[in-house]
Formats: sequence, C-alpha cells, structure tokens
Amino acid sequence: MVSTVRSSEDVVANLPRFNVARVELALLAIVDGDLDSLDNFLKLLDKQLKNRIQAFHAARHTSHLKTQWLQTAAKMAPSDPLQVMDAIFQKVTTADSVISIATYLKNINPQDLRDAALSGPLSSGQDPLSILSVPQNTLVVLYILTARLYSPAGQPPSLQLLEEFCRHFDPEQARFAPDKVTLLAKGIQKLALAHNTPRAAVQPLQHLISRYPPHPSYLTTIHPIFTLTCLQATTPAAAVPVLEYPITNIDSHLSDLHYNDNLIYHYTGGVILAMLKKWSEAEEFFEICATAPGSVPAALQMEALKKLRLVQLISKGKVTALPKYAHPILSRQFKASPYHQFISSYPHNVDSLKEILHKERSLFSTDKNVGLLRQAIDRAPRWALKKLTATYLSLNLADIGKAVKIDREGEVRQLLLDMIESGDISASIAADGSVTFSDPPPQFSREQVDQVLKNVQDQGALLEFLEKEMAKSKEYLSKAVKGRDEGFSVPDEDVFAQFQGGGAVWVDEPGFS
Amino acid sequence: MDIDIIEEAQAAGASSQSVRKPIIALVDDAHPFDLEGYISNYTGRTAIERLIHIVVTCPTIAAEAYQLCVQHIHQSRDPGLYQNLLSAYEQAQAYNQSQVGEGAIVLPDPMEIAQLDTKWMDETLAKNAADRGKLEVELKTYTNNMIKESIRMAHRDLGDFYRQVGDYATSLKHYTKSREFCTTSQHVLEMCLSVLELLIEQRNYSHLSTYVFKADAALDAATAAANAASSSEGAGASGTGATAKKKATSSAERDAVQSKLDLATALSYMGQGNYEKAGQYFLKIGPAKELGDWLIAPGDITIYTTLCALATFQRASIKGRLLENATFSLYIEQEPYIRELVQAYLNSNFKVVLELLSRYSTRHYVDIHLAPHVQNLTNLIRNWAVVLYFQPFATIRLDRMSTAFGWTVEEVEEQVVGLIQSGEIQGRVDSQNKILQAKQTDYRADLVARSIKLANDIQATNRKLLLRMRLQQADLVIKPPKGSGHHGQLQGTLAEFMAGGD
Repeated sequence: MVSTVRSSEDVVANLPRFNVARVELALLAIVDGDLDSLDNFLKLLDKQLKNRIQAFHAARHTSHLKTQWLQTAAKMAPSDPLQVMDAIFQKVTTADSVISIATYLKNINPQDLRDAALSGPLSSGQDPLSILSVPQNTLVVLYILTARLYSPAGQPPSLQLLEEFCRHFDPEQARFAPDKVTLLAKGIQKLALAHNTPRAAVQPLQHLISRYPPHPSYLTTIHPIFTLTCLQATTPAAAVPVLEYPITNIDSHLSDLHYNDNLIYHYTGGVILAMLKKWSEAEEFFEICATAPGSVPAALQMEALKKLRLVQLISKGKVTALPKYAHPILSRQFKASPYHQFISSYPHNVDSLKEILHKERSLFSTDKNVGLLRQAIDRAPRWALKKLTATYLSLNLADIGKAVKIDREGEVRQLLLDMIESGDISASIAADGSVTFSDPPPQFSREQVDQVLKNVQDQGALLEFLEKEMAKSKEYLSKAVKGRDEGFSVPDEDVFAQFQGGGAVWVDEPGFS
Repeated sequence: MDIDIIEEAQAAGASSQSVRKPIIALVDDAHPFDLEGYISNYTGRTAIERLIHIVVTCPTIAAEAYQLCVQHIHQSRDPGLYQNLLSAYEQAQAYNQSQVGEGAIVLPDPMEIAQLDTKWMDETLAKNAADRGKLEVELKTYTNNMIKESIRMAHRDLGDFYRQVGDYATSLKHYTKSREFCTTSQHVLEMCLSVLELLIEQRNYSHLSTYVFKADAALDAATAAANAASSSEGAGASGTGATAKKKATSSAERDAVQSKLDLATALSYMGQGNYEKAGQYFLKIGPAKELGDWLIAPGDITIYTTLCALATFQRASIKGRLLENATFSLYIEQEPYIRELVQAYLNSNFKVVLELLSRYSTRHYVDIHLAPHVQNLTNLIRNWAVVLYFQPFATIRLDRMSTAFGWTVEEVEEQVVGLIQSGEIQGRVDSQNKILQAKQTDYRADLVARSIKLANDIQATNRKLLLRMRLQQADLVIKPPKGSGHHGQLQGTLAEFMAGGD
C-alpha cells in the first residue's frame, strides 16, 4: 500500500514528484509552529538542492572527462585492465558525488574491458574490495561484484561476501544502477544453485529486497527472483514477510521491469501462499496474475487461473466470477479444460470428481495441480455439510452421512467436530447422534469496526490524493486544456464531471472483486 | 428464406416429439374422462390429431378412440392419417402387453374394430389428384394472365388444399407465396391467419409470434382503411366489396381477429414454457363466441388460463383477474371443476387443489397443446402452494402440513427441503422433531457483517485496480509474443520453478 502518512524525508527524497506536497508540508509546519520539523525540512531541502547542483557540475565534468578519456583511449588501446581498474579506483575514491561516479562507471568503454578490469585486482595486487567500504562505495562495489559474478574466467565472489554486501549496501547509491542490482540478484540465485544450496540465496536476497526499494509496496525485478528462490529452496515461509505487503507501486526507474516480472512474482507468490495454506492471500495473488493487463493472455495467466479456481474451491467451496477486466479469451479457454468439468461437479458429485482426477491425471500432474485437486476433493464433504446447515435445524448423523456421501458414522462425527472446532459451522452433537445446527449472529467488537472505518478513511484519502495527483498531471491538464481549446461548448465542469462520474461508478460496483 | 427456416424447425420438432417418452394417463373412476364429450368439441383435422394423441396416452380407452378416429378420417381428405393412427395404436398395444402382469386389458386387433374403407380411400386419392391438377392449372393460367388477385386466390386455394391433405410444408409455401400478390391489408391478414392455423395445428410454437406480429400490423392497417372508408361516403368506388362489407361489422370483426391473435400468442408463450406471459395473453382473449370453433375449444382455454395463472400469478391477481373477470367467468362455466379448483386455491385448501389436479390430470394429459407442460405446471402450482401455506407461520409441525396437503411427512420434508434449497422458503427444517421453522435474521448484525465485508472487498478491489493502473502507466502490459522463442522462454521459467515448487 502506498504510504499515506508522508514524512518530510519522503517528500524531499522524491522532490520532483511531489513539488506541491513539499510546499504544503512546509506551510503546514509553519502554521503549526512546528519549528523543529521546519528546520529539519529546510536542512533536507538544502542538502537535496546541493546534491542537484553537484550533479549538474559532475555531469559537465564527466562529459568533459569522457571526451578526454576517449581521446586517450583511442591513442593507447588496447588498455591494460589493471590500469583501468586503477583509474576507476582513483576516480571513485576521489569523486565528490554519487552521480558522477554513476555516470563515470556507466560510460567506461569498451564494456568488456571494464568488466575484465572490475573483476581483477589493482595493479598493486590488492583486491579493491578489501579497501573499499560497502556503505560508502556501494556503487563501485556493486559493479565489481556483478562483474565478478559474470566473469567467465575469474572466481565468483563467495556467498558470505555477497550477503555482507546485501546487508550493508546504501540503497540510495544502488538505485543509480538498477540493472546491476538485477544482475546481482540473478547472480546470487545462480551461484547458490551452482553450489547446490539454493537455500543459501534466500538470506542475501531477502536483505536486498527489503533494503533496495524505498517502500515495500514497490515491485522490483528482485521480487520474482526472490520468490522463485524460496520455492527452489523449499522454504516458503521465508517469503512471507515480503508477500505480506501487497504491491501497489511500479516505478520503472527503480527497476527495469518486464511484464513477466509482475506475472511471475504474483504467480510464484500465490504458489507459496497456497503451500502455506493461506488461501485468501493466495487467491488474491493468483487473481492479480490472471487479470494482469494485456492484449493477449499469457500462458502463465492460464496456469494462474487454474490454480486460482482450485484455491477458491478449497477455501470457499465455490468459484467466484473473475473481474470484468479479465481477458475474455482466458475464461473461454478455461471452459474447455477438464478443470471446468471438475468445478461444475463440485462439491456434491465426489465420484465424478474422482473419476475426472483419474482420467485426466497426466494433464493434472504436468500442471502440478494434483495436490490442490486432492485437497479440494478432501474438502468436498465439508461444503456439502455446510449447505445442510442452511436447510436444517437438526439432523441425525446417519442422514448427514447420506447427504455428504460418507458411509461411516464415525467419520461423519469426526468431520463435524473438525468443522465445529475450526469455526466453519456452529452445531452441537447430542448423545443419541442427533446434530443441532445454530447460527449465532456475527459478532463484531468495537475495535474491529473502528479498524475497518480507519481503513476506509485511509483508502478514501489515498484515492483523493491520487485523484488530485492526476488532476494536476501534465497529461490530464494538456488533455483538458486541449478539449477546452477545441470547442468552447465543452465547459471545464463537464470534463471534471465525467471524471467524477467515473469515480462514482467505481465505488458503486463492488462486483469488481 | 422464411420457408426454409420453418421447414427445418418442423423437421426438428417432429423428431423431438417422436423421441420423447410418451406420457401414460389412466382413465378409471379416480380419473374420469368423457371421450365422446371431449371430442365433440372439435372437428376436422384437429379432432383426428387429438384422437391419435389419446390413443397413445390412454391405452385403456385406445380402442374406443381408435374407432372414433377412423370415423373422423372418413370425413377428411387425408388417408395418410390412417397410417399414423395405426402406428399409434400399435404403440398402445405394445404398452398394454408390457403391463400384462397387472391384469391390464388386452387391446383387440385394430382390424376387428374398424377398418378403413378401401373404396373411400381410392376415391379420395383420385379426387385429391384431380383437385390438385385443377388448382395447379388454374394457378398457371392466372400467372400467365398476370392477374394479381386471381393468382393470390389460386395460391390460397392450393394452400387450403394441401393443408387438408396434410402436406404442411407445401401448404405453407403456397400461403407465403400468396403474400406477394396481396393488394390490401385485409388479404395479408387472411394469409397470416391461415398460416397461424396451420402452425397451431402443427404445434410449431416458436414461429407463431412472427406471424402474429405481421397480422397485428395488417389488422391495424385494415381497420384504418375501413374507418377511412366509412368516414368518407363517396369512397365506395375506391373500396372493394370486402371493405364495404367490413364497414358494418368492422369493430366486431376486429375484436374477433384480435382474440385469435391473442390466443396464438398465448399458445406460443405456453409452448415455449413462458407460463406467466401465456396466462396474461390467455386472459386478453375475448368471449368465446368471437373465436367460434377456431381450432381450440373454449374449455381448453379455461384450463390453459387457469393452470398458467395458478402456477405463476400472485394470489391477489388470481382473484382479480380470474374470478372477477366478466369475460373469463363465461369460460369458467365450460369446465365446472376449474371453478372448484380456483376457489380451493384461494381458500388455501391446497389438499383439494392437488386432488383436483390429479383427478383431472387425464383431461390435461390428453390435450395436445398442454400435455408437455402438465408436469411443469403441476410442480409450479404445488411449490406455490407450499410457499403460500407456510407464509403466515413462524414454526409449523410437518405432520400438520402433511394433513393439509395430503402427503406423507417424508414427502412434505422432501418438498420443503427442495424449496429451501432453491431459496423459495426462508426457513429451516428440524429433521429430528419434524418441524419447519422460519428463519429469523438479526438484521442489524447482518447489516454490519455485510458492510464490513463490503468495505474489505472494496479495499481489495481498489488495491488490485491501482496496481493494474500502475502497470498500465508503466506500460507493463502483456504483448503478443514476437516469435515462438518468447513463449518458450515463459514455459521454460515455468517448468524451472515448478520443479522446485511442488
């Protein structure tokens, strides 16, 4: 979720994005007489401005340097990697701003020479990593590590070293080289697999994922790699702290994302949550994957839809409709699959469920869904029993057994007890085997209601914020102005009313979920 | 174009009818049925069709019906019908033989009861051939002479002829062809009514509405023309003889046609299982004399209307529209037991209702239009009855319900459970003590629970939509693969983590 309470640090860090918010906050601080925070704010602002000025100078400087370097390089190529490394080392330890280092590192030509240099030692024979400090020289260490991870000849860095880096790197610096961060994450995963210890990759990746993005709600390229690693390492629980934060932000400057990253993250996340039997969360993840925007459905979306349906059967006993924005081809294709047959005979017709499972076993097992299907079949009597509670006040065990197709009375009793204990139904079993169902009205504590209200208010504020953000966005304004210029007959309110109308429709349609 | 579709549908309808398992209705003391009285309401082809239907559905009186039917066939012009009758009778015989164990009557050989007069048959066939030749020659001459009105009449006559000899497809073809030569809307109306008769005889319900629609338009135009003719005295020269005659009886005739059209619409709705609409249109039909003996006897209309109304109407509108309806009260006189039925229903005397329904079920089953729907209608009425009966109670013992409906307790429970599951009764059954209890909802708690659920749902939806919006803003949408390589890559990744996943 987007952080709704913004600290002044946040605002300053995103200076260009939140111009207005910055001023608002400053004004708020002045009005409140909160001198401390105002002071703090001004300091941050000052620092930020200084950084930007430095960056400007550095950019000029590097472009100057670059031409110089190119000239010299042309004269003395091929260069010795050791010398290049020395130059890099010289540069990064003396440069005064991160941006200049970033542009400098990015622009060293040729690239393979740079990578060769970075994976080698200094001319003095020292390992640059032993001299550089991770928090201060994050960027260059990142370059060195990725170069060594992918160097064909050299020894890859040890996992301890990588973990050390992940634990201590400076995120602000790392964000200047998102591609290298992706490479690092991939490298860590590969390295661990090569050592046949996928579990070793989980820890460093977890550090990386928790420290790199500015807020856990941002999707990065590390996310799918991390969830995949958790699956490979069969440690699904390790992914839970990351999965707990729903993704709501996408910033392509933060990470060079591909649409597959989103799909794979949500799919694997769903698989992990399903393994942990967190059904409702898994359902959400699969749904996000299956309904991702696109002009054509991806194969992975189909897999996600299959798993989504099975998870729904397990957790709710029935399927709910996909949101309207889901791709129509997807559900059409799904209807043609044996999964659809399975769903339509669920939960009453256990025999035909078993028959479908048996008949289509090879398909189900290539889809890796046999486990989920089994769980769904195992839970089928529960849903049948639950339906009975809506129809009957009391029944005896034998009748229940007949209705849910379980012959042995003991088994029925066990199932009932199980469901009563897990709170699925409320019932009591008398000594003579008669079962009395009751449905106590749902109880809500004041705190619960308050919590819901607070959530709703937060959500409302967030939506309002987004609306304002959009209303002042360049695209919207240019469109609105254009509309006004073209025809005077379209007054401003109309455009706005239309916009608000859209909002109203949105709120009125809970059917989306 | 029209014709083709209809022919196809007919073929489909015929095959589905032959496949359907015949309903067997008993005729005995508990299920009285007066064959002679019933069939005297009908004449011509429809009587024969009905008798054949009776032969199939009521094996007990098959012999009697067979005899009557042969008599009717002798008056018709279609010897082919005898084949149908014979095969129907054989079916009934086969059924009776399969029931032998229970001491059922063995039907006598058909040839012993009545035989087709072969002389009559030859004569009829010869006459048919001659008539056909004559009519076709007429049509040809008229076509050569290009006299529109005569061509229309020739087509109409041919249509009538083929209808009589039982060649429905050709008949329909001629009727529809005659439309091209219609000069006044009166003619169009005539054509539409002929087609409607044909379709009703054929029990082709789905196409009725098309022709009703056309006839409606023609009827409006015809009345408008008649009015115009009557308003201007000097119009006699322009108006044909038909419109001049129509002037006098214009409104009466119009009502009569309208009644026929309503009947056709109602039948088409009933044939398609839309009983509520059917009931409404049946009630629109005017007094019986307007219809004359147009295919369907007034008693049939009474039964159709009542069953449709009882199955779908609200209690108040049953009272208002059936009993306090001047037109319909005349119809009710036709079938005395119907009045009893409606009264019992309104007095909530459901046991009597169900008894009457079962007592007269034979009467319902032998009706060719109603037969396929009797089961549905009876179920609907029964369900309504149970729902109505339970409405005023908070709790009721099932044995009390069983006496009220004349069922066993198990039957009542089964019914009630079915209705609860389909959501028609808001209640729950105490199977131990055999008590039905109305559901008591704590509306306040329910509301809170619902709104909390809604709030959570909306939040989740918002979150997902926001993500979707962001994805679209960042252009992270799924694009079609450029080559198969891309697809393979996706599958590759899939397989890769699947291997570790499960």
